[in-house]
Amino acid sequence: MTLNTVKNKYYYIAGAILLIALAIVSLYVGKYPLSMEKLLSGDDLQWRVFLTLRLSRTVVGIMGGFALGVAGFVFQTVFRNALASPDIIGVSSGASAGAAAGILFLSGSLAITLSSFAGALGAVVIALFLSSLDKSGKNSTIVLAGIAVHSLAQTFLMCLKLTADPERELASIEYWIMGSLSGISGYSITANLILCILCLCILFLLHRHVIILSTEEGEARMLGVSVTTLRLIVLLTATLTVASIISLTGLISFIGLLAPHTARLLTKENRIQTMLLSGFLGGILLCGADILARSVSATELPVSIFTSLLGAPFLIYLILQERRSL
Amino acid sequence: MKKKLLSLLITLSLVLSLTACGQKNTVENTETTAESEQVITEENNTTEAVSEEDSITEESASDALTTQYPVTVTDQAGREVTIESEPQKLVSGYYISTSLLISLELDDKLVGIEAKADKRAIYKLSAPELIDLPNVGTAKEFDLEGCIALEPDLVILPLKLKNTAESLEKLNIDVLYVNPENQELLTEMMTLIGTATNTQEKTNELMNFVTKQEDALANALANADAPSVYLAGNSSMLSTAGSAMYQSNMITLAGGQNVAADITDTYWVEIDYEQLLTWNPEYIILASDADYTVYDVLADPNLAECSAVKNGNVYQMPSKAESWDSPVPSGILGSVWLATILHEDLFSADTASAIIDEYYETFYDFKYSEK
Repeated sequence: MTLNTVKNKYYYIAGAILLIALAIVSLYVGKYPLSMEKLLSGDDLQWRVFLTLRLSRTVVGIMGGFALGVAGFVFQTVFRNALASPDIIGVSSGASAGAAAGILFLSGSLAITLSSFAGALGAVVIALFLSSLDKSGKNSTIVLAGIAVHSLAQTFLMCLKLTADPERELASIEYWIMGSLSGISGYSITANLILCILCLCILFLLHRHVIILSTEEGEARMLGVSVTTLRLIVLLTATLTVASIISLTGLISFIGLLAPHTARLLTKENRIQTMLLSGFLGGILLCGADILARSVSATELPVSIFTSLLGAPFLIYLILQERRSL
Repeated sequence: MKKKLLSLLITLSLVLSLTACGQKNTVENTETTAESEQVITEENNTTEAVSEEDSITEESASDALTTQYPVTVTDQAGREVTIESEPQKLVSGYYISTSLLISLELDDKLVGIEAKADKRAIYKLSAPELIDLPNVGTAKEFDLEGCIALEPDLVILPLKLKNTAESLEKLNIDVLYVNPENQELLTEMMTLIGTATNTQEKTNELMNFVTKQEDALANALANADAPSVYLAGNSSMLSTAGSAMYQSNMITLAGGQNVAADITDTYWVEIDYEQLLTWNPEYIILASDADYTVYDVLADPNLAECSAVKNGNVYQMPSKAESWDSPVPSGILGSVWLATILHEDLFSADTASAIIDEYYETFYDFKYSEK
């Protein structure tokens, strides 16, 4: 046990160091030729590019990955389901449908961010409302309600795609769904980041309750916790965290699923530290993937390609190792 | 320990094979595109050669350009289609071929066209009766039964609908696939449709107009400096067209230099603000159908330092009649318009306006500047 704890401490430190290192690399990589000399000499344009574009993109990469990792951990823990992710209660399909509606009926990137956020939130509120109709309060009800809302949102999205102009709007919708950090700039991220940080704080303050929710319901009740209300608050907060990020970046696949698994396989625990490590891993994945997405070719590539390409082999390795140690 | 090593090796090889696969695929892809491009140019050469021969024999025989039916043509899907007699009822499932049919004075033979025709300004201006024709669907959803019900002699479809031909051919309806993705393919499509519908004379007139304007532009701009131009795409101001695309050619013809020329993708690509600031173009041109405005670009704080924005050199391509930045028969007018923006002193707005009026008066029977 003590050996495990010591080992885990190394994981947290290593995770944090790697994350910081990637953040520094991310500040160095980009299409605009920034130079340290010119920055130090106070070149106005250089500073503006650095602050509003390079730094903002790095911050969103790290914060976004961290938030997705933590939210994924919360969902898997609350649902006691290894396959649970924010998608399970319809947040990503709601966000996609909202973004598509924004692209078709509104204009401007701010409007699209707002409408995808509204879509994500709407989907989750409907899912949670539907599940509250069933008084038994079982986890499976939420999942079922989520699946129903998810498919409804998908249908709505398909209808929107059908009416979209294939040259212009359909392309925008597809690009949005593929997810990218290319449009991020310092002028548009403040509100989302504040919301995201706020929600993350709440989740970390509630970490004990999250772990309690992972126990059998009877047990949780015995510990004096109103399971239904608490679950509602935790799920809503986790969803808000995800919505605040993906309404900026578009869908980013796999991090919410992969980061918590990797964190648990590494630490073999399910505690607040695991939640933190899951966040670190999410940040590492998204920041690393984004560095590749903007540097391997002259054009921008969808970031999800690289989150999967970097994350999947590592997860497979961990699973194989787990098997062997049994 | 050995087991651990082994599992690590397995994972590593897996990762490597994954990345290797990815690379291999891209290499293969580029190879195939290169090959197909080659094929296309070869085809073009042959068609050009053939049409040249044709014109020579035609001239020597001093015959009018007419198609002798039955005629066998090769469409842009590479299929050989034999048309028995001059088609009297036409269906066009693609706006580019519909626009061409209007200019060839075949609009009265059309019995069905693509969906969303009411959104095309050129139909309203030149052939408003087309808007009320039955529509045969879009490139996404083709209405096969609806098309058959119209009993057409010849159906012209975009290459995207490649699987539709078989059912139509079984009912003795001729199908021609067209794929006007760039200037060469557009010319090829015009020759193909001209031959199939016995309107070669009008087709040649149209193509000669284009060549004449190309020459006029080249002469006028022969000694001009080429300012750098960024073409902002329809879907977002951070999407653009590389050198392999039709739109890049349009910029070159207008005496400009496409800042994205190093990109070789054959479709619109996404870039980021940093890339755009690095290119620092002197002009930013918005595509005709962009769903954002010139004002949006000028007001974008991220672009405040960009030359084009600082000097107010941001313009949107007109869309009053057609989107000249897509491979439509009138595409040359895109270059004509752009030349007046980039080289006002060498190519005046009046000259351009006269050319645009001449084009639409000759081929579409309306006066552009008065609409």
